[in-house]
Amino acid sequence: MDRLIYTAMTGANAAQQRQQVLSNNLANLSTPGFRAELSTFRAVPIRGDGASTRVFAAEATAGHSDAPGAITQTGRNLDVAAKGNAYFAVQALDGTEAYTRAGALEVNTEGTLVNAAGLAMLGDGGPITVPQNARVDIAADGTVSASVGNEPGQVVGRLKMVEPDADNPLRRGDDGLFRGPGGDPLPASDVARLQDGALEGSNVNPVEAMVSMIAVARQFEVQMRMLQNGEQNDRSASQLLNVNG
Amino acid sequence: MMNSLMIAKTGMTAQQTQLDVISNNLANVSTNGFKRSNAVFEDLMYQNLRQVGANAAEQAELPTGLQVGLGVRTVATSRQFTQGSLQQSGNALDLAVNGAGFFQVEMPDGTTAYTRDGSFQLDAQGRMVTSSGFPLSAGITLPPETTSITVSSSGVVSAKLPGTTQLQQVGVLELANFINAPGLEPLGQNLFRESVASGNPITGTPGTQGMGTVMQGYTEASNVNVVQELVSMIQTQRAYEMNSKAIQTSDQMLQRLSQL
Repeated sequence: MDRLIYTAMTGANAAQQRQQVLSNNLANLSTPGFRAELSTFRAVPIRGDGASTRVFAAEATAGHSDAPGAITQTGRNLDVAAKGNAYFAVQALDGTEAYTRAGALEVNTEGTLVNAAGLAMLGDGGPITVPQNARVDIAADGTVSASVGNEPGQVVGRLKMVEPDADNPLRRGDDGLFRGPGGDPLPASDVARLQDGALEGSNVNPVEAMVSMIAVARQFEVQMRMLQNGEQNDRSASQLLNVNG
Repeated sequence: MMNSLMIAKTGMTAQQTQLDVISNNLANVSTNGFKRSNAVFEDLMYQNLRQVGANAAEQAELPTGLQVGLGVRTVATSRQFTQGSLQQSGNALDLAVNGAGFFQVEMPDGTTAYTRDGSFQLDAQGRMVTSSGFPLSAGITLPPETTSITVSSSGVVSAKLPGTTQLQQVGVLELANFINAPGLEPLGQNLFRESVASGNPITGTPGTQGMGTVMQGYTEASNVNVVQELVSMIQTQRAYEMNSKAIQTSDQMLQRLSQL
């Protein structure tokens, strides 16, 4: 049988993996601070003796989209949305410093500022603790102040925000958090700003995801047609050779 | 089988949870002292099918890997303890907390529950009880011949008795607050219970130590914003639809495959 079926198979396989990436983006349509996964097809030529006619296709995720997500005003004083390309620093479960755009913060039993998943938010000098019964306000530069009753607010720390650039890109880990190159912490940014009382939604573009999904379904169909053609060619060839035919 | 079916399923489940939460908020739009909650989502773990930077050949490294996320999950329903609007009722036993703090209520099993709903009534023994009949922890009992009752902003309850000019103090209300109020466990009947996440209650006189003040003759309305809920409902419905479309597309791809 023609080897084209193996080439078509890699195409169908890549389309199926693209569908997974798109489904994951759509599933996270309302996850605060979610960054859409970008995907690209890669050509893998098979080199060997003779003419190199076969090029396999492979699906690859080229990183995440840095487009800003929609900002929703919530009015809650512990909801913060990072402006521009800033990320908040959190302490991941493995103890390393990781970054996230999700800014729905909470205060836990010990008075530590944590994110919705319970990971401690990192300030310039480690986790930030607020006193009991305090009203917490977060300023645009990340300064956290706590005021008890009618007393003036006291600064208890400053949320660490980083701004990744081409030299310090962020990569998503298996836990969905972002980390710097080689896992090293990025330097705190002085110019990063946040918006308090607001939450950033997911930056998945539903239009793009839906259209890509249609494209991928058609692409899959074409691969299936190629497989069918391969089968037909094979059948015609064997009919030619058939002495009874 | 295709992972995308299960991934889109997690998306639909999450949107369904969101709709459940929105429905509950809308159902309680006129419940006194109700605090709205919203579902918070988190992306699930990622599968590294091809590690970025792995060697493709001796001198070449893969510039891009293949990382597939496995969907979404609901990580919490976060309750928002923002102030509800205060509505004047004119009823002397209607109390509202203006600011932080909860009224303390004694449950039949002897434990303490906490509520923001201050529409109190009197029971047969003259005790101040909630609408469900649970007495206040401060154990305030009014004499049967009371003509009027006054509650000060700092929680002092006084009764006016016939034939006297002086008000008689019958009890003092204390408020309780928590370092992490969203961690309180909701019991229904407008009541909350202390949990490991909420921390221990910190009690105090209204108006001191960051506690709110008590307003007599007012009830605190629910803090549900109907417009916000309706917009969230539209978003939820469309997101649900798109996830179902992802399932449909995956199904069609599988159908093509099985028709080979």
